[in-house]
Amino acid sequence: MAEIALSPPLSAFAALARHGRHGRAEGPAGVVVEELRGLALATVIARKGRAADLAAACRASFGVEPASTPRRTAKDGLAVVWSGPGQWLAVAEKGHPLTAGGADGLADALRGALAGLASVTDQSDARGALRLSGPRVRDALAKGLALDLHPRAFRPGDAASTWCALIDVQLWQVDAAPTYDLLVARGFAGSFWHWLEASAAEFGLEVR
Amino acid sequence: MRITCPHCGERGNEEFAYLGDATVRRPDDAGAARPGAPEFERWMDYVYLRDNPAGRHRELWQHVHGCRAWLVVTRDISTHAIFSVEDARAAALARPSLVARDAAS
Repeated sequence: MAEIALSPPLSAFAALARHGRHGRAEGPAGVVVEELRGLALATVIARKGRAADLAAACRASFGVEPASTPRRTAKDGLAVVWSGPGQWLAVAEKGHPLTAGGADGLADALRGALAGLASVTDQSDARGALRLSGPRVRDALAKGLALDLHPRAFRPGDAASTWCALIDVQLWQVDAAPTYDLLVARGFAGSFWHWLEASAAEFGLEVR
Repeated sequence: MRITCPHCGERGNEEFAYLGDATVRRPDDAGAARPGAPEFERWMDYVYLRDNPAGRHRELWQHVHGCRAWLVVTRDISTHAIFSVEDARAAALARPSLVARDAAS
């Protein structure tokens, strides 16, 4: 059978994101957004009663301890984000060694290390990912996100699965700048982008 | 109405889906076709009959736009006051089994 050469994943936001400044033009941009491309993603769901063994195997193989509360733990470009009881999303940054063999590299590595402990499903092409920052990013997100992002309630490393502008999102705080990473189902990338562009316009949106 | 998910914390009820009465228990017998038989009545009760109390009630909800866990919410249907929110799996494992209940009665 002939080898099938798969092209690299297409950007979820390429047709939508116009680089440069949008909305208010004066002063520094209130919100800065850039698409995170080349991520490898995989859901990890613990088999019945194996969550503790899964955590130990994940620590031994990847040096990352999966959190049992809505948190993101990471080491050397590989993160594990809690996404439900006994469920996590593994995220390998672009250029991580596990993404070398294509997007499936992460899922394959997880399947190997967690055999019998977890069900692993590749999600690399299933999500669009954005990194959001800027001094007014909380004000822009507050227009669609019913989640308290005040520093006393949501800190770097905290993660949440919730609704933003009636679209399911998974997000986590990267640093205290503040910077947030946010994932949407790929099919909602367009709806989400239009909401973001409109919501951030009054603060000045810079698309990188 | 705001529901405090035991996994995610307090969220608006728009993130949750109502999934029915949490007080019903599936009978563990095979049932019977003859109306009047205790097995028939038990299944009739389980499949069709629901209480509608104007007050405290136990309900199944799912945090469908969050962690997707099934929950048991104990609340007052008249006032929307919520008394407790439990993980449905934990609540199911904690309750006495039907076998144990039948043996005790």
